[in-house]
Formats: sequence, C-alpha cells, structure tokens
Amino acid sequence: MTVPVLVIGGGLSGIAAAIRIARFSLNVQILEQHSRLGGLNSYFYRNKVLYETGLHAITNYAETGDKQAPLNRLLRQLKLKRKELSLCQQYKSKIDFHGHESLFFSNQPELFDAEIQAKFPHIHDKFIQLKKFIDLFDPFTLSPFRSAKQYLSELFGDPLFVDMLMCPLMFYGSSYENDMDLNQFAIMFRAIYMEGMFRPKGTIKDFLDTLISHYEAMGGITRTNCRVKKIIHSGNRVTGVELASGEIIECSYLLSTIGSDETRALMNPPGQITPPADKRLGFIETIYELQEASTSTLPEDTTIIFYNTTKTFQYRSPSDYLDPSSGVICFPGSFSGLPPKKNREIRSTHLADFSRWKKLSADPAAYLEKKRQAAVESRNVLETIVGNFTKDIVFENTFTPVTIERYTSKHKGAIYGNPVKIKDGNIGYHNLFIAGTDQGFLGIVGSMLSGVSIVNQQILPKI
Amino acid sequence: MTNEEIKDLVLEIIEDIDDEADFDSLDPDQPLRDQLDLDSMDFLDIVMELRKRHQLQIPEEDYPNLATLNSCVMYLEPLLKDA
Repeated sequence: MTVPVLVIGGGLSGIAAAIRIARFSLNVQILEQHSRLGGLNSYFYRNKVLYETGLHAITNYAETGDKQAPLNRLLRQLKLKRKELSLCQQYKSKIDFHGHESLFFSNQPELFDAEIQAKFPHIHDKFIQLKKFIDLFDPFTLSPFRSAKQYLSELFGDPLFVDMLMCPLMFYGSSYENDMDLNQFAIMFRAIYMEGMFRPKGTIKDFLDTLISHYEAMGGITRTNCRVKKIIHSGNRVTGVELASGEIIECSYLLSTIGSDETRALMNPPGQITPPADKRLGFIETIYELQEASTSTLPEDTTIIFYNTTKTFQYRSPSDYLDPSSGVICFPGSFSGLPPKKNREIRSTHLADFSRWKKLSADPAAYLEKKRQAAVESRNVLETIVGNFTKDIVFENTFTPVTIERYTSKHKGAIYGNPVKIKDGNIGYHNLFIAGTDQGFLGIVGSMLSGVSIVNQQILPKI
Repeated sequence: MTNEEIKDLVLEIIEDIDDEADFDSLDPDQPLRDQLDLDSMDFLDIVMELRKRHQLQIPEEDYPNLATLNSCVMYLEPLLKDA
C-alpha cells in the first residue's frame, strides 16, 4: 500500500502539517521515533508530577477577529476552534540588562513604546520608524541573508539599545550567532513585541492531546516508537521509508520535520554536515519547583525576564559549559487566568557548549556532577536578578544539549536547528520537503505555520 | 447542479473555512478574497474542499477563475452539471 503523505517527526510542525493533509480526507501517517509526540515541546513525569519541556510561552498572541494574525490563520487552517484552547496571556515581561537599563513589554505594544520613550528618549523617533518599516516589510519574500544587527546599528547608533532589542528575539528563536536575518528579526519582532505572549490554560500534554484527537478524528494515523532508518529513493525521487523495525512504507510525498541535515543523513549515500551548517547553538535549561510556603520574594507580575549582566551582549556558543552571564528566566505560572498551582516554578535557559557536555557524558558521574554545578552557577546569577530562592527548591532538573539531542535527535541538541534555513522547504528532491525548525519559522505558532505552509505550497496543489 | 446550488456550495465551503465570514453585503462580481478578508491559504482550502466533496481536480492555473462568486459559478457549472 502506498500512503499519499508520510510525515517524519511528531513535533508541532509535523502534527500541523499532518492535520492539513487529513483535513482533506487524504491518508497520512506521522512517524515519531519516541513514545510521545511533541518533539521539542513535550513533557515528562517525576514523582507523578508532569513537567513541560520546551514551552516557556507561545508568541504571536492575537485577539479573535483579527483574521490575518498568524495565530488565527493557523487555527483556521487547522480547523481548530479558538474556544477549544483557553489562552492565558502573559502579565508582562522584562529585558533586564542588569546594572545598565531595563525595558518592560507586554501584549499591549504601548507599554514597550512608553518604556523606550522614557529610557531611550533620544532614539524613540527611530523606534517609531522601525515599527513602520516592519509593518510594511514582507518577511515571507524569499531573499538572501541581510544582517539585522547592521540595519539596527545604523538606524539607532546605540549599541545597548540594539542589544536589548535583539536579546529576547535571539533567545526565542535564533540559530545564528550574534546576529539575525532581517526577515527573521521582523517575524520575531512582530511575534514578541507587537503581538505578545501567552500559553494554553492546560499543560502542553493537554494541548498535544487536543491536536492529536482532532487529527485522528479526521482519519489521520499516528505511529509512535517508529524510527525511520532510511529514506528510500532513486535519484531525487523518494519512494518510501524503511523503519528501524525493517518495515517499509511506500509514499507519494514525504515531509520531514527532523531538520535538513538530519533528513539528508537518512539518504543513500548519507549527507555530511559541512560548515557553516555544523555551527549549532546549544542551550542548557533548568526547571526549579519551589515549596508551597515559599518565603522567596520573587517578582509576582513578571512572566519572562530576558537578562544580560555584561556590557556587551554575546549570543554565541560559549567557551565554557554554559554562559550564565545572559539568559532567560521564565515563571510558567505567571500568566493571567491560569489555575493556581501548589508549588511555584522557575525555569532558566542559557547558551551552552554541546561539545564539552558531549565529551563529559562519557563519564556519567562527572557529567551529573557538572550538571549540578552548572545549575548552581546559573542560580548565582539568577538570584542577583530575581532574589534568593535556593532554600525553597523542592525539585530541580537540568537538561543539557546532550539531553536535548538524546530526546529530540536534533543535531548537537540545537533547539533552533541549522543556522542555514531552507525557506521553501526544498532540499533538492522531487517529492520530499522539509518543514519545521530548519525551514525557518520558529516558536510554536511559527513551527506549526511552517508545517501548514510547506504542505500548502509543495504538496496539496500537486497531490 | 443549478447555478444557485453552486453558489450555495461555494458559500457553504467558505463558511466552513471561516465561521465568521459575513455574506450580507457580498458583491458576486467583486473578488471574494478582498471582501471576506481571506488569504491565499484560505483560498487553497476552497479548492481542496471542492476536491474532497466533488472529486474536482482544479489545476493551479485555473485558480484565478475562482476569484468572484459569479466567476466560480461560471467555471464550476460545466464541471458540476451532473453532480
């Protein structure tokens, strides 16, 4: 039997792509190597408590009625009712260049504007100019890399402001060191500063379950524990896949969401990863759960803090296990309308060096000890920003780039994938396309729109 | 299908894509996209729904024929005459 469309990878881009196919009564199967769907945005249990991985906040908040907003376009494309997902908006977030300047922003763009007017009055008119530019800019036109940093530096002439503006956008989606493609910058600027952040009222598990039951109700098939060992092709025409079990599934179209190099590695002969695509940014993340009767004086009305403690912000692979001098601090309980939870949670994210962690992982005891030390190093900086909380920790768990590689199979555990993006999803095959992280739309809404748009452009009109 | 039935079919499909679509002031000779605030992604859904419901294969080069409600009827009439 030939399946019209196979989707490799059951992350959010793969699920969204598969829903599009199933919606029109076409047979489609998602092949996921793990026992659980979600990819980078999944969950695990410890002591019967569910912990989310990946998800801090979802960008691209939009009110109902704004039909062209990415979130509403996505829901329409997936035929998902907005009311099926209760959306909780962030309180407000902060860019904290500690000891230098800070800027608050929220889902009301006026707050960010007022903050900039108050703290960077000399460039406020330029900021208005930037917003106009972004408003008229079409980031979806395919174009070569253009440096956002250079554009912003020329516009503002204020390195501190440029770094502060770029910091959240880099941490929430850049696979590129110390710069961003101007297209990517424009997409992320809209997603974070103009639209804003939210999360579903339920857990990421509830969100995934809603998507999957919707998909399966349309006849879509999900296969977990189903690793693709090889892509079968002759020349640039794909005929199917061979699973780790030896089973062969034939298909007319193949959509891979596992990354461009990760896909090429399944071809015959397997593709090699060459510079600059081998330069991947790793991250280390720690989840802390604090005891109920916490005496910590953590901020109550802040959802996410993007911080930097040095004079010049460096978004690059560190020359140590991690770089705690900058990072993201997320309070996952700080969204408006979330049901109260017994224990408060804090998550921290920093840039990390995959190769050091990989090398150390050969010695499990040393690796575990280093993970513990890394969390201490991270906390030492976090506590200067949000106050002390170490004494209240009842649970902590750290993921290194090695953990992320193990669970997601992303090369070098790089959550934002390849620094080189393939915007049209075409990697040189007649009926194989890529979507997801390496296509270039990032974040949860972005990755799902990536799955949707590659299916719309490359598969639905031809099938 | 009669012309009226084809019109209803197209409107029903659009309503299915966007349940907020407002047909009250729809001009059948003006582009659907502008009037209903649809984008190219929604437009593809009209094509795909016609295929799902009536097994019509509409080639990409024919998409412009679906621009207005009246042009939809003209284009679809011979294809749906036995439906």
